[in-house]
Amino acid sequence: MFNLPVTNIGGSELFVLEFGDIVNYFSVYTAALFAFALIFTALAIVSRPEKMVDIAFGGDAYYTKEIDPGLLRFQRFMAIACGLATLGAVVSGDVFNFTLFVSMVGITNIGIVAAYKNKHVLNAAFQYGIVAMLATVPLFGGAAIVLATTGTLSLWELYTAAVAVPLIAKIFLVLGVMGEGMAPFYIAKAEITRAQGAPFILMVHVSSLLVFLRVVEIVISM
Amino acid sequence: MDQVYVLGLLVVFAGVLIGFYALMRERDDLHRILLTDLAEILALALIALVATDLAEALILPGLVVGISELLAVSEVYLAKEDLRTPPTAPPFRIEVMESAPGIMALILVAYGIILSGFTGGAVAAVGAIFYFLCRGQNEQFAIIETVSGYAWVFWIGAFFIFMLLPAYWFFAVMIAGGAILVKVMAKMSLIGTMRGGEHV
Repeated sequence: MFNLPVTNIGGSELFVLEFGDIVNYFSVYTAALFAFALIFTALAIVSRPEKMVDIAFGGDAYYTKEIDPGLLRFQRFMAIACGLATLGAVVSGDVFNFTLFVSMVGITNIGIVAAYKNKHVLNAAFQYGIVAMLATVPLFGGAAIVLATTGTLSLWELYTAAVAVPLIAKIFLVLGVMGEGMAPFYIAKAEITRAQGAPFILMVHVSSLLVFLRVVEIVISM
Repeated sequence: MDQVYVLGLLVVFAGVLIGFYALMRERDDLHRILLTDLAEILALALIALVATDLAEALILPGLVVGISELLAVSEVYLAKEDLRTPPTAPPFRIEVMESAPGIMALILVAYGIILSGFTGGAVAAVGAIFYFLCRGQNEQFAIIETVSGYAWVFWIGAFFIFMLLPAYWFFAVMIAGGAILVKVMAKMSLIGTMRGGEHV
């Protein structure tokens, strides 16, 4: 019943998950992304966070940092939520669902970064939050223009040759994903990654990478 | 694409340009949050321009995502600027605020239960909020949270009945109506009361 119209990027579909008229699909490409996200979500669930050690410059002295278990618990929760949102984003068969999952990745990324109570890190998280909020304008705008010009949001329809998606909608989608998943590329990256809790901070990078790879597939196939 | 849509699109793009330029110029962090919120309205305007039933259905998730991002950024701002101060006792005493809440809350909650559903939840919640505002808040908010959680589960369960056993739709409507009433009421009555209380 379901045949993926474009197979030059994602390969043919392996498995189709149908929720009414919203049909998620696992092609070779999206299944690989899904497996990657699943592995890192599992890591966020089971991993024991590292403890930071600061070494005093020019001497033998070092000190370990106190880490509040409550904050780590929150960070772990946010990392798991981020993993789940990424899982949804990489297999979504609907443009609007994809944008919603991507903005959820953005929100959880803010949460992961902001869990650490340090003035500089919070500053970086705030700036990132502003960018992520602004990015919803092109993100939802792109999905809305797709809907207005083609009359559908389903990727199954949009991938067919008969449906032409305007370039501006594609640009908007990419811009939106860039804004939401920009944490790893942010100018204050050093501040963000200085926050403790290595496995959880890692989720910021993984989720951004995966949603980027997914939006590339969507935009080229459309 | 008709001309009205293109015209609307141009207006929204002009708004986006103005909004982004304003954000570029603004230096005060609080003002930037407010400007960002204004810019998000433009995303909703872009969806609304589609002007179909589907667009109407898409505005709600768009709005929810916008509000949740706004809440997250505001929390980060509060933590960043160290703006958390414990709530203080009200500076003045108003007689009617001690006598009215009981009866007013009772009437509103009763009327909300008659209305049921989302609207009923909102009406009943106004009664509950009025009560908490006037009488202070020493209740166990964890219990309200728990009730809200269970109500949410019932609500979702009702949707599964719709999907799997459509013949029992009336039963599902009743469950969903009651559960959303409890959920909205419980959630709304927590507004403004969660921060800094002793049972939080």
